[in-house]
Amino acid sequence: MFFRMLKKDLQKKKTMNTVLLMFIVLASMFLASGINNVVTVMNGTDNYLDKAGIGDFVIITMGGKSEDAEGKAGTVEKILRNEKTVKDYRIENVVYGSEGNVENISGKKLKAKNTTIFQSLSGSKIKFFDKDNKRITDIRTGHVYVSGDFIADNKLNIGDRIRLVHESVELVLTIDGKAKDALLGSDYMGNTRFILSDGDYNALLSDDNIKSNYRGQICYVDTDNERDVASAISACTDIAFAKGRSVIKMCYVMDMVVAFVTLVLSVCLIIVSFVVLRFSINFTVLEEYREIGVMKAIGISNIKIRSMYVAKYLFMALIGSALGFILSIPFGNMLIKSVSDNMVLNNSYGYYINVAGAFIVVLITVLFSYLCTGKVKKSSPLDAIRSGQTGERYNKKKGYRISKSHTGTSLYLAVNDVLSSPKRFISIIVTFFLCTTLVLMVVNTTSTMKSDRLIKTFGSKSDLYITDVRKSMEYMSDYDRNGIENDLHKKESELAGAGMPSHMCTEIQFTYPVTFEGKNYNLSFQQGLGTKASDYEYIEGTAPQAEDEIAITTAISELIGAKIGDTLVVHLKDGDKKCIVTAYYDTMNQLGEVIRFHENADTDMEHCSSVLALQINFKDNPTEKDIEKRKEKVKQIFNNDRIMNAAEYCADTIGVVDTMESVQYLLLGITFVVVMLVTILMERTFIAGEISQIAILKAIGFTDGAVIKWHMYRFGIASMVAVILAGIMSIPMTKLCITPIFGMMGATHFKYKVDLVKVFIAYPGAIFTATLIFAFITALYTRKIKSSDTSNIE
Amino acid sequence: MAAVLEVKDICKTYVLNKRQNNVLRNVNFNVDEGEMIAIMGPSGSGKSTLLYSISGMDSATSGQVMFDGQDITKMSNRELALLRLDGMGFIFQQMYMMKNLTILDNIVLPAMQSKKNKLAKKDKIKCGESLMRKLGIIDIADNDINEVSGGQLQRACICRSMINNPKVLFADEPTGALNRNSSNEVMDELVKLNKEGTTIIMVTHDAKVVARCSRVLYIVDGNIKGEYKSPSDEKISEKERDRRLNDWLMELGW
Repeated sequence: MFFRMLKKDLQKKKTMNTVLLMFIVLASMFLASGINNVVTVMNGTDNYLDKAGIGDFVIITMGGKSEDAEGKAGTVEKILRNEKTVKDYRIENVVYGSEGNVENISGKKLKAKNTTIFQSLSGSKIKFFDKDNKRITDIRTGHVYVSGDFIADNKLNIGDRIRLVHESVELVLTIDGKAKDALLGSDYMGNTRFILSDGDYNALLSDDNIKSNYRGQICYVDTDNERDVASAISACTDIAFAKGRSVIKMCYVMDMVVAFVTLVLSVCLIIVSFVVLRFSINFTVLEEYREIGVMKAIGISNIKIRSMYVAKYLFMALIGSALGFILSIPFGNMLIKSVSDNMVLNNSYGYYINVAGAFIVVLITVLFSYLCTGKVKKSSPLDAIRSGQTGERYNKKKGYRISKSHTGTSLYLAVNDVLSSPKRFISIIVTFFLCTTLVLMVVNTTSTMKSDRLIKTFGSKSDLYITDVRKSMEYMSDYDRNGIENDLHKKESELAGAGMPSHMCTEIQFTYPVTFEGKNYNLSFQQGLGTKASDYEYIEGTAPQAEDEIAITTAISELIGAKIGDTLVVHLKDGDKKCIVTAYYDTMNQLGEVIRFHENADTDMEHCSSVLALQINFKDNPTEKDIEKRKEKVKQIFNNDRIMNAAEYCADTIGVVDTMESVQYLLLGITFVVVMLVTILMERTFIAGEISQIAILKAIGFTDGAVIKWHMYRFGIASMVAVILAGIMSIPMTKLCITPIFGMMGATHFKYKVDLVKVFIAYPGAIFTATLIFAFITALYTRKIKSSDTSNIE
Repeated sequence: MAAVLEVKDICKTYVLNKRQNNVLRNVNFNVDEGEMIAIMGPSGSGKSTLLYSISGMDSATSGQVMFDGQDITKMSNRELALLRLDGMGFIFQQMYMMKNLTILDNIVLPAMQSKKNKLAKKDKIKCGESLMRKLGIIDIADNDINEVSGGQLQRACICRSMINNPKVLFADEPTGALNRNSSNEVMDELVKLNKEGTTIIMVTHDAKVVARCSRVLYIVDGNIKGEYKSPSDEKISEKERDRRLNDWLMELGW
């Protein structure tokens, strides 16, 4: 008999059952894909680095002064061979270049990031992967795989041809695809690596100038003691990079920010699905209260009544979860795809996690239905039968009186409904709030990255920044400090001649061995050229005032244990120098692991690891508009397209702004989908429970339009509350959730850029409008309910 | 008296499972202003369908319904809704009300919605209170709808139907869900309203209720089988009136 009743129920209450089934499908889809993404992201970077074979420590040497030459072991290799803590190491030979070396087939220079690296696939000691996460095993002569965003940035396609011009060598190469490069593929490392065939790589080496001046090595070291390896190689010059696995992992921090956004989104969607699932089960059980009362009245036991409903929900949960599981696969892939362009992200459990997620939804649905039908026990048959037409028990409402209303009746009814039955709308508000807050957090992060708010974590603020990798390399190999200073003065004269009086400066980074409390380190330093140490911001202490004073970052403090007042021994070229720590400061250079020298400290270019952007400070205080105009002029004067203002320089240096923006739009899109689904399903649920009220309103003379407005306004109010709360909460939530991520990159003291129009008008407005539109479309169904339906209501 | 409602050749056909069901077949009658008409008949005879068709709540398949000189069968849904709001009042067997509103707010809701009702909001509320006072339910003005008896709720429904001073009040078995005492109270109020000039058309099964109407239409199988006019001679006793009505009903097979 129960199965017959169940069958009848499923046939008769099509609307409510369909709505509930849809919610179960949504919950399963969100939960299954969400859990899978969480597992994937949590283990993401480690899995990827292991798969690529990065090891525990990576050393990059560059420049022509290395003792290394083909067939002869270099200094670094000698050290690694003799260092006890090194378990194994792999060395690959590379050729360096700059973005000026790469052009399209018609001769237009192509954009590449930082110093470019050319190497052969067979000589590589790590694995590269293609867009389908398959290992790249073969590259034909005349073909190339490129890492990073080179293809997208230059709007190239697979199959396009590029020209590589380096010294006397010219190669025409066909792009086979993007290579996922575990070492250099992150936005933070950002060097573009061109992976060539042996033939093409040997062609490069056939040039003597390349052979003697542009060669370098990348060493992948397996060790349990990164610190000892770092200490052992601290005496080597020509080391451009020597960091442990943790730093390489950290380089993916921005990719992981995106990944974690999808992770948080997944968690939000899981919460959303539970909220709506609980609501809809509760609502459908209330709808069935009257029938429950009748069953109780004819003597059916509580347990049998409950088991019948639980069986119904179990049946629906099984069907819904199966559908949700199927949909979770493409949905989860879509989410993870937004992060996995640079990485190979997957987990070893495959779709078993999705199955587990779908199964959890079955359990939760059954649990919710069991809990919701618990009210069966508490009420007498009469309660259930007599308490109102829907079987709902009325309690004193906390609505507001019509006499106090200053609005039309539709809006009054909507406000009164929300105030009288807030529980019905809480799930909508929570859902919309979570989704909107998440979108706004990403909006705040992106706005900050695109602004100049972080500029002081890269150096001093200037009007314009010139990025010229070729020039930087030239400075590093052929200039001393005075030479660079003179070159800057020359450029100042050129600018002054063009009517732009200016002062130019730059920052030079060095790597020096340091001893503190008996331990040796190889640490990065930076020193302003054309600036004073006191021109920079410090978060604690005072700026270095003399050449034996230094400022350290909190990351350095954590790394070596030094505090303000401590003395470090820096092994400079001309002898050891005792330097006292006078301040802490923030920097995003080298992921925060840098020490600032006083401007008079006796540094030498032999230990230089890079020369950062050349900065232009105009002396005549031009307006922002003028600076933009001058930017174009400066581009022409120096024949360089990479002239940026402070905000553009920040965005360029951080590197993931574009990705963050696409994540922002992805999130907005998903929020629209959630808003649409929740609005349509909830509104349909409300209509099903309010047929009598809609019919009576129509009978007493309410037009279809007035009824539709009443329903639209209710969702409008809920959505309005949610988006306003989200707008307000997004600012502290961004600080709470995003600051630790910037902290990992070295920036802890900065102010977020909050674009008020975006945060309080554009995005909330779009979500609010979408809610109204979806509520309107669904509320059109009320037109089918006629005033004469009052006679058909049970 | 002028006819406020003219019903001409009204037909209503439902198609159910490919079978045509002619619920109303060429029904004709007029209602004059100030009349109180009862529509009677056995279950399934088409009483409620007739009431909904002549009040514009449902559309007739064919025929014409002139309400206050306007053909409502040619009106759009919106025009019909506005006519129901300002020109008609409705009372149903079930006392449907908006469950999140108090009794008074339910009563004044149509007044607030009406654009023709030019009273200030405060006066509309006073009007609602005055109607409640008149029907003896002013003390439940601030109650929720679950806190009052069926009789009180039906009187509140009468107040709501009267809030915009309708020309005609349509009632579908207004006492059907009430006990005898409540039923008498509600009928007393309806008679009082009729005496004050409101035209009332009601569907009922109850001969006691019918006895208080000025005219009775007896409908069988979608046709008016008979029409009974209550004697206008005031000297005839109530008992005699009931007897004559009963005789007429028995003649029709009631």
